[in-house]
Amino acid sequence: MLVVPGFLLSILLFALAPAVLQADLRDGTLHFHWANGISSIRNYLQGIFSGESFHFLAGRTEHSFWEQIGAYFKVSFFYTVIGGVVGLTGGMFLGVYFAISRYRWMRRILELTSILPDFVIVLLLQFLVVYFASVTGVAVFQVASVSTDDPAIALPLISTILIPSNYMIRNVALQMNNAFAEDYITFARARGLGKSYIVFFHALPNVLPFIKADLHKFMGILFGNLFIFEYLYNLNGVTLFVFSNAFDYSGYQYSFVVNGLFTLSALYFIVYALLRAAIFGWEKVIVR
Amino acid sequence: MNKTLLLGLIITIFMLCASLFGKYVAPHDLNESAQVSSSGGELIVPPFPPSKNYPLGTDKYGYDILAKLLAGSKYTIFVAFSVAFARMAIGSTIGLLLGYFGKAKASRGGQVPIWNMLNGIPVFVIVWMIMIGISINPAPSAPTMTLILAVVLTILGIPSVAGTMKDKTAIIREKQFVLSARSIGAGSWSIMWKHVLQHLKESFLILFVQEIVLILGLFGQLAILNIFVGGTRQFRDPIEYVSRTNEWSGLIGQSRDYLFAYQWVLFMPLAAYIVFILGFHLISLGLEKHYRTTYAKVSQI
Repeated sequence: MLVVPGFLLSILLFALAPAVLQADLRDGTLHFHWANGISSIRNYLQGIFSGESFHFLAGRTEHSFWEQIGAYFKVSFFYTVIGGVVGLTGGMFLGVYFAISRYRWMRRILELTSILPDFVIVLLLQFLVVYFASVTGVAVFQVASVSTDDPAIALPLISTILIPSNYMIRNVALQMNNAFAEDYITFARARGLGKSYIVFFHALPNVLPFIKADLHKFMGILFGNLFIFEYLYNLNGVTLFVFSNAFDYSGYQYSFVVNGLFTLSALYFIVYALLRAAIFGWEKVIVR
Repeated sequence: MNKTLLLGLIITIFMLCASLFGKYVAPHDLNESAQVSSSGGELIVPPFPPSKNYPLGTDKYGYDILAKLLAGSKYTIFVAFSVAFARMAIGSTIGLLLGYFGKAKASRGGQVPIWNMLNGIPVFVIVWMIMIGISINPAPSAPTMTLILAVVLTILGIPSVAGTMKDKTAIIREKQFVLSARSIGAGSWSIMWKHVLQHLKESFLILFVQEIVLILGLFGQLAILNIFVGGTRQFRDPIEYVSRTNEWSGLIGQSRDYLFAYQWVLFMPLAAYIVFILGFHLISLGLEKHYRTTYAKVSQI
């Protein structure tokens, strides 16, 4: 069980980079300030007990991390849970559908959109709404949040579901097609079992382990996507919170960034547990 | 006839030629900017929309977008290529050795390696943390900054390539022909070279192309967060981030605000970037199709 401490340690180390690696302002040479790194970690660990590590500066105002993080956490939680659960479930069933569907062009379109990085999809969605508005004069959705009271909801929701589920659909369709080539399917067909019976009770149970093994990858896409779309839609979630306050007027805030990343990892594990539970549920349904 | 592969190759080769020789046929130079003029008492101010004179339009300083794209393409194309190549060379060597000499078979599910857990922090965020301190208004030249970014991207990409290659090698190692080669006295190195590597050739090629697509995606995500290939020039008042190299994803990142007006400033680099990614994707699809029709079993449903 070295995974959890190793994971926490790697966050502590990754967040060090801006403190350690600095460019000389005069001649631009790169320097490694290892002492900076060591003192940052030491200060952070000592500050945990005194509470000092949970204060940060936004501009020049000091805030308490615990008082601020709740609202941001809620926003990120909302989008990751919806994206995760809907993306997983919808992706699974659409993947099955695409594997048996005769409409190959649908799959091809899906594969084409899947190679576009998340930010391109977000930009294209925004572009589409703006274009539609400029032609018809009707703004269907808001393209980004103007303020906290007036957040953009529809487009972020579409993106949060679209991108991870796209990955799931392709993955499931691919594994399904691999399963269909196996001998037990030929055997099941030879016994005269129905097509949908074979799909759901022979092939799908054998695809589920692949989905489970791929869950971290899926989560990676979900969370990478979260960073991008919180930023592009100006949503007040944890990742935008970290990006916008990582540097205050005096420099890099190590303890703040570490706290932010810990919050994200907590979110990661909660969503991961939820998705594992969802897969467990599906196993109970389709595996007899 | 594998149309997918052919189309992908045509797109990629076209882009490659454009980047190498485009500047000789381009209508405008990178340093040539269109000035404010007046016709019939009406001021004509850049950005100009795409027209006969400016096929892709100009940016707000009057620079030809086509010229910028051509100048930046060197970085987009060759950096992505080199990083992918370095990742593959180092990562697959490590993966091959680990897979061949490592003990257990490839794990499925159960044991999760530690870097899988790090998926929670996406790669571009790690790169962001490393680069943010040195990438804004940097003193080193653009090629130096590009090299630094390339090294960082290479190092961070090696574990996943090594992991994939390790799994694939571990599967081939158990095959009959490896056993028979060993039984007639072949050494580990010649088995690796003559058997394992020959079987990995195609997945090697496909992985290489996919890595390029991944790296291009990373460039873009970093550019959205104002980390551009070759460094970022920051202007204050109003705050503006400008790519030093005109690398394509940098051009997209810096013109993100043109969503509402003068959309071609954002859309032209975006279109070039998408077509380029599409080219590589088609190559990867085409290769997969080629190998599938050559080797794999067929669907029974």
